Amino acid sequence: MNHTAAAIELDALTKSYGPKIGIDRLDVTVERGEVFGFLGPNGAGKTTTIRCLVGLLRPTSGRVSVLGMDPVADHRRLGPRLGYLPGELRLYPELTGRQTLGLLGDLQGAPNPRRDELCERLGLLPADLARPVREYSRGMKQKLGLVQAFQHEPDVLVLDEPSEGLDPLVQESFFGLLAETAADGRTVLLSSHVLPEVQRTCGRVAIVRGGRLVTVQAVAELRETRARRVRLVLADALGPRPLGRAEAWSPAWNGTELRLLVPPQEVADGLRELLATLPVVDLSVEEAGLDEAFLDLYRSPEQNVETFS
Amino acid sequence: MSARFPLFVLALTRRRRMLVFLAAGMVLFEALMVVVTRAVPPAQLFGGASGGPASALKAFSGSTGDVSLASYPGLLGAGLVHPFWIAMQLTAIGSLAAAAVAADVEGGTIELLMVRPVTRARLLAERTVALLAATLLLNAAATLTTAVGIGLSPQLRQAVPLRGVFAAGVLGWCFSVSLAGPALAVSAAARRRSQVIGATIAFGAVGFALNFVALAWSPAAPLRFLSPFHYYTPGDALAHGTLAWFPVAVLLAVGVAGFSAALPLLARRDLAP
Repeated sequence: MNHTAAAIELDALTKSYGPKIGIDRLDVTVERGEVFGFLGPNGAGKTTTIRCLVGLLRPTSGRVSVLGMDPVADHRRLGPRLGYLPGELRLYPELTGRQTLGLLGDLQGAPNPRRDELCERLGLLPADLARPVREYSRGMKQKLGLVQAFQHEPDVLVLDEPSEGLDPLVQESFFGLLAETAADGRTVLLSSHVLPEVQRTCGRVAIVRGGRLVTVQAVAELRETRARRVRLVLADALGPRPLGRAEAWSPAWNGTELRLLVPPQEVADGLRELLATLPVVDLSVEEAGLDEAFLDLYRSPEQNVETFS
Repeated sequence: MSARFPLFVLALTRRRRMLVFLAAGMVLFEALMVVVTRAVPPAQLFGGASGGPASALKAFSGSTGDVSLASYPGLLGAGLVHPFWIAMQLTAIGSLAAAAVAADVEGGTIELLMVRPVTRARLLAERTVALLAATLLLNAAATLTTAVGIGLSPQLRQAVPLRGVFAAGVLGWCFSVSLAGPALAVSAAARRRSQVIGATIAFGAVGFALNFVALAWSPAAPLRFLSPFHYYTPGDALAHGTLAWFPVAVLLAVGVAGFSAALPLLARRDLAP
């Protein structure tokens, strides 16, 4: 085992199912102690990548390394140091919550020092744990999934849609757990559709689309490099008219109001031009939300593949 | 859950009701066979047929030799190769073999099990032992019921040696192993439990049909060697009180071949729903 290695390394990782390519030459590095987001639209290859990471799928080509180990070949050594929450959590319906945690703890073969504390923090009461899982709501199953992933204090946590089904109070507890995990120097890879959650918890994100990596960037950097939302109020109500190069900035007209998404490096010049040609009576410039930044990356098919890791 | 063998315990506890019902069914059925055998002497039962029962009916007495269905060992042997007995065996084998791998893959629970430091060999080993334990339970139920029935009847005790009952029981378990091995190999490669249950039923049904056709139609006689029912001869064991080692070896070899094939099949595959 390589103790100086990054926590997670994907090197030209490819997984295909016959002629269909699930993920294509993915290169991602996650450093130890990082909370890393893994994003993309449905069918982008997130779950396939995660399953390769935890050793459930064998890569067709390329390399996966977690804590310097191969998740398939070194499964026995890596398993005790790995915590995993699947995207679609399936449990044995007839087992109680307590039996489920006991079974998974037994298979882990390691002490579970935090089990009771985690149950309490996530609101799993002893009465809940005594009930069969088939009686659980989606949120309760998700809490159980989080406890089993965290209970043995793993060095690397791989969480697929972890806050799905959690109420806001439990989400807060979960964010607290994530923060403590990162503060302890442990690593979290988190796949999510909930962008505010990513914005709040992750330092960096990778975005995949169609099985390919679109970008790996710091969340703050991603936001900075994305478009600015410019709103102009005009003196007349003549509506759409030629805008010159601003035509490329997704103009949206609404009466006297014009909205544009302007690349950050063009904001100053662009505004000067618009102010010179249009009867502007009011204007505002806002940083585009992270949602828009992500959605922009999700959508644009001509986006170049970039890696900053 | 047992801390030492949780996968073994899980496989059996999840199917404990089915196994209890099957074992109870087996006890009732074999008890009925003993009662019927005691009530009507087999020679009278088949007295109407001139020259005795047809040779193909040996398929129903569990004999490849000289044991007629119109005899006490033949009739008791029929209780150990009866379609009801076969159906119960196939139900237990199909269900437990499917539960070994395919059911967890289909249900998605494999994800939580196999991200832990559990090797694929361990998964297979614990599930194989659970499967063998289930088949042992059913065969023990059938054997002990028959043994008690014979022990309580002086006329049966005279015609059938008790050690023959236990020899038939051992042979029955070896037969179960010969079906369980290939069923487990299918489970190791399958994505759905129905594939395993279907394959298990197909092994049993095709094997029985092959043996029956081979006994009924002489040109097809060589095909009998391909059927596990050719080697599973409880009627012969009951009549002679001995265990024939060659059939035991063949049945166990088929089972072991299946178990051995399961590991490389499981090791090569992806384990995702």
